[in-house]
Amino acid sequence: MAGLDADAPLFAQVAERLAAEIADGGVAEGERVPSSNELAAYYRINPATAAKGINVLADEGLLEKRRGIGMFVASGARLLLLERRRNRFAERYVQPMVAEAERLGIAAGELIDMVRAASHAQDGLIQEGLAL
Amino acid sequence: MTAAISVAGLTRRYRGHRALDDVTVDVEAGSITGLLGRNGAGKTTLMRIVAGQEFASSGSVRVFGASPVENDQVLRRMIFIREDQAYPDVKVGHALRVASWLHPNWNGEVADRLLADFGLPESRAIKKLSRGMRSALGIVIGLAARAEVTMFDEPYAGLDAVARQVFYEWLLAEYVAHPRTLLLSTHLIDEAAGLLERVVVIAAGRVVLDAAADDLRGAATRVSGPALAVDEFTAGRPVWERRRLGSQESVVVAGPLARESSVRT
Amino acid sequence: MSTWINVVRYHLVSRVNYLVLPWGWLAFAFAVDIVIFAFIPVGHHVVPTARGIVQVQDDSGRYAGGMGAIVLVFFAMGVQSVARSLPFALALGVSRRSYYTGTALLAVTLAVGYGLVLAALQAMERATGGWWLATHIFRVPYILDGPWYLTWLTSSVTLALLFAYGMWFGIVYRRWSLPGMLAFIAVQVAILLAAALLITWSHAWPGTGHFFVTLSAAGLTGLLAAATAALLAGGYATVRRATV
Repeated sequence: MAGLDADAPLFAQVAERLAAEIADGGVAEGERVPSSNELAAYYRINPATAAKGINVLADEGLLEKRRGIGMFVASGARLLLLERRRNRFAERYVQPMVAEAERLGIAAGELIDMVRAASHAQDGLIQEGLAL
Repeated sequence: MTAAISVAGLTRRYRGHRALDDVTVDVEAGSITGLLGRNGAGKTTLMRIVAGQEFASSGSVRVFGASPVENDQVLRRMIFIREDQAYPDVKVGHALRVASWLHPNWNGEVADRLLADFGLPESRAIKKLSRGMRSALGIVIGLAARAEVTMFDEPYAGLDAVARQVFYEWLLAEYVAHPRTLLLSTHLIDEAAGLLERVVVIAAGRVVLDAAADDLRGAATRVSGPALAVDEFTAGRPVWERRRLGSQESVVVAGPLARESSVRT
Repeated sequence: MSTWINVVRYHLVSRVNYLVLPWGWLAFAFAVDIVIFAFIPVGHHVVPTARGIVQVQDDSGRYAGGMGAIVLVFFAMGVQSVARSLPFALALGVSRRSYYTGTALLAVTLAVGYGLVLAALQAMERATGGWWLATHIFRVPYILDGPWYLTWLTSSVTLALLFAYGMWFGIVYRRWSLPGMLAFIAVQVAILLAAALLITWSHAWPGTGHFFVTLSAAGLTGLLAAATAALLAGGYATVRRATV
């Protein structure tokens, strides 16, 4: 299984990776996503599992089926995913950061300064075309 | 679900002990099912009985709705490749020819490409093959036959890790190209896990688990860290294994952990 | 039906095992016999006549055992046809019944074919006066002594008998391994002993002897054919529950 781990159901991981690809713009709206057979061959998993992952996204309206051709990224999918990530952002990134800072004895003020500094650095990188 | 293989109350008694004890399991048509278990658990016995090579003491076996025992019609649609398959005193190419006569779906092109991928020479006498090569031969025959019910019993004995990956990739490719019912027994759980749709676990001749592969992932979780934190975190869950070293602890608990909870300190 | 044919093809897929080796053995045994008898002078016996002692060549010729080789080979082929070849056939999805029937078909075909060749060789032997050495390799007194078609029939039946016997041994080995084979032999010996005892008790030895002496070659062939059928039936019954 190229890159999938044993922590969560495989179909869920497949769905998540596809979603991440859509959110990051790796595959654009209206573009075809890999078929379940292609995903199965790539990840070396059962085609039914791959199909399940695709169906999860299709059920959420992120993919649409075009008969005889395949699955395509639905319009508005990227925005939908980014919004979802936004909602989770605080929980996923901010809370752990705050907790770790507390453990290390970094005061809130210092933490905010660090965030600002990092933000400037990121802008600088973007300007130089080196952003992540 | 249409069951390609249907086993009910199957028991196999040998002198003194039960190799299989009241086994009931269905294998869905057009799926990949894994038969897992330790050595001696009864996997091979089960498959041999399903293939009509061994006889049950009691219970029933149905393949495509009919008993496979001495039933040419049903047996023709099956192939069973064993880890210790005994071959006649012929060459590799001969064995493939015979298999092609007896299997209507035989695909010679697939056989040729498999031979090339495994580096198996057609003109070599089978009795001169190494263990790994014999396993490769079994895999070539088992896959190229494209039998509706294809059973593999630990088919990779002697194959190195690379050859095993070749096998898994071919298995998937062939399964996609020509869907069939695949029953694969293995103790290399990690490697085969992704391929399986369904998992049947056998221990001491009994079926102890029969579930969709995805349901099993997340059926247990290992939590490690400072002992106090771990204990608090996993409170109230059944613990299946506990290991301690100093102030650290590693625990295996039942059930998955919600995504959010994995983020707490 | 087609399965039987496929079983025959299966056995013959490697020509060597059933179509080349037996001839090899026969040729080897033949050559050995010829070489031996080429060096042994033809026997003479002395006949006193009115004019003095005369040396007369034994015209009955010498008998060699070359045929024994092919007979043993057929037994060995019978054993191999089951012991080595059954497991793969079962793996490929052939029922035991079909496998046995197909193999028996092979046995008959081989026996008839080889029997014909033996009959031809016997004719050649006669024509050359015992290979120019007054040696009888393909002629067995009383049994293989008559017209060519009788030779063909008798040798075919004998070869089939041995193949069937070998098959049964092979099946017994598959089912019960070495202990089984030994038991199998022991049972046969026991039956023979029991038969001998029975004949002795009923004072039937003269009767038995008379029966065999007055039996024609054709009659003997019939007996052998019956024995072959019995062996085939025995093998069939045993193979039904054989496992690999």
